[in-house]
Amino acid sequence: MKTFAVSGRCIAVPPPADWREQLTQMLGAKPRRIGTWAELGLYGALRCIADAGEVTLPQTAQIWLGSRRGTYAATESVLQQLREDLPMPLAFLQTQPTQPLALLAAQLKWSGSACFVAGAGPIALLRLAAAQASDGGALLGWVDEMEGGASNWLRLRPCAATDKGFCSASAETLFSPHITHLRVAGTGRLEVRQGALG
Amino acid sequence: MKPVYLSGRGLACARGLDLESSLAALRHGGAAPSFRLLPGEMGGHFPYFAIPYAQNNWNARARDLAQRVATEAGAQHTRSGALFIATSSFDIGAVEHEAAPMDYGVFADKIRNWLSWSGPVHVINTACTSSLNALVAAHALLDAGEEEDALVLGMELDNRLTLGGFAALQLLSSSSSKPFGVHRDGLVLGEAVAALRLSVREPSHWKLSGGVHVVDGSQPTGASAAAAAKMYQRALAASGLAADNIDLIKVQAAGSPGNDAVEAQALRDAFPVVPPLVSLKAEIGHTMGASGAAEIALLTACLEQGVWPQYADAVDGTLDVEFAEHMPADVRNVMATILGFGGSHATVVLERT
Repeated sequence: MKTFAVSGRCIAVPPPADWREQLTQMLGAKPRRIGTWAELGLYGALRCIADAGEVTLPQTAQIWLGSRRGTYAATESVLQQLREDLPMPLAFLQTQPTQPLALLAAQLKWSGSACFVAGAGPIALLRLAAAQASDGGALLGWVDEMEGGASNWLRLRPCAATDKGFCSASAETLFSPHITHLRVAGTGRLEVRQGALG
Repeated sequence: MKPVYLSGRGLACARGLDLESSLAALRHGGAAPSFRLLPGEMGGHFPYFAIPYAQNNWNARARDLAQRVATEAGAQHTRSGALFIATSSFDIGAVEHEAAPMDYGVFADKIRNWLSWSGPVHVINTACTSSLNALVAAHALLDAGEEEDALVLGMELDNRLTLGGFAALQLLSSSSSKPFGVHRDGLVLGEAVAALRLSVREPSHWKLSGGVHVVDGSQPTGASAAAAAKMYQRALAASGLAADNIDLIKVQAAGSPGNDAVEAQALRDAFPVVPPLVSLKAEIGHTMGASGAAEIALLTACLEQGVWPQYADAVDGTLDVEFAEHMPADVRNVMATILGFGGSHATVVLERT
């Protein structure tokens, strides 16, 4: 059971009204030809990394991205196009849930492991991340563009294991701004802690 | 840390509805793919390796194939373990026929019910590398002692979205699959449902030593030689092997003019002497998210039963790599590689015990 310290976060449910402007500023240019879901993902991930005081990720870090609905909007649009013609190439690329991962890697000038996990929930995502995480930790995100949009991200760094101050928590707590440490117990239950490890 | 074994495998692909029939078809040599018609000016007929199993109902066909492949892999012994569904297209074929909602959760529950699965279910989509990344994730859970068994179910079935998208990107061959071939002109896609059962409790002939995934965003639709070379180097380091310990590499070699050249360069960069190579793309097509699981199932069976693929097209000499004409003797350490969309490069290391 790995214990993580939360070294950075972006909680955007819904994202702020000027999130696109903020994204443009972080990228250095307006994002072009990518879907809203990928843009939202990039916005949250870059905010989170900046919040952690990092400009890129260590080579050994892993990115885990989850979503309830992922690229549904882009996929619906392409399915419509397919009734009479081939889809536009860039529209097809927007149906790929890995698109924001590749864009993020390019923006960070980073190469490493990055996975999209569909459905399930953030705790299941955390469990997979914890099983594979090494000294570089993980960047874990949960992004949806429906219902006003959400882009929640945590930058997790591995830290010494201790039982002091941890308590069981609901899945919703994962992205609480007060959580400083977290882990997934063997039963798949989330355990969290508020405040520095003593 | 217990060894993680490949304790069961199953496969339905263009060559047959199970491994035995696929091997029998392979022994008899290359079968031509069928064709799919796509609309529009850039559409037309494209070769496609379909599973020879007719069923009008997309869901019923997918259910039958998933159940028979899972049973072939011995999934009935593992239903409380972790299930990893690896796919690049989910059940979009059913959505296209208005036989399913577009909903990841409903898709996962549908397969959970088909397989009477009681353990946790994860759906991994990293495009073509989905199965290999599911294997890496499953291996990590078993290695960490969090699970004792897992099933990786690679699933890629007929749909217009994938074929149409690849055609729009002009990535498809109009004739046949020619891995590393001098006349290669693109990919031939195919269907596959493949199951790999992992266990720390049930030793087998094959051990999964681990794997590596490297995403590099420099090429949105293709591979990067630097990233692929890095992938090989990291995989060697992670498995504690030297380059000359690798006895065989199952390459991606999907027949893409650009990507095949990039992959060949990465092999030359990562290995002072490139190990014997094998590709199964000309036999079953590129089965996208299922390809990692499908090709591992088929390759390990080939190695056990002495069946070896042949290639109709000569290898492009400018690539400076070649396929093993015959099965290499004494194969112990095997790398299985898939390179895919979104700059995704993955490889796993298998050891024959």
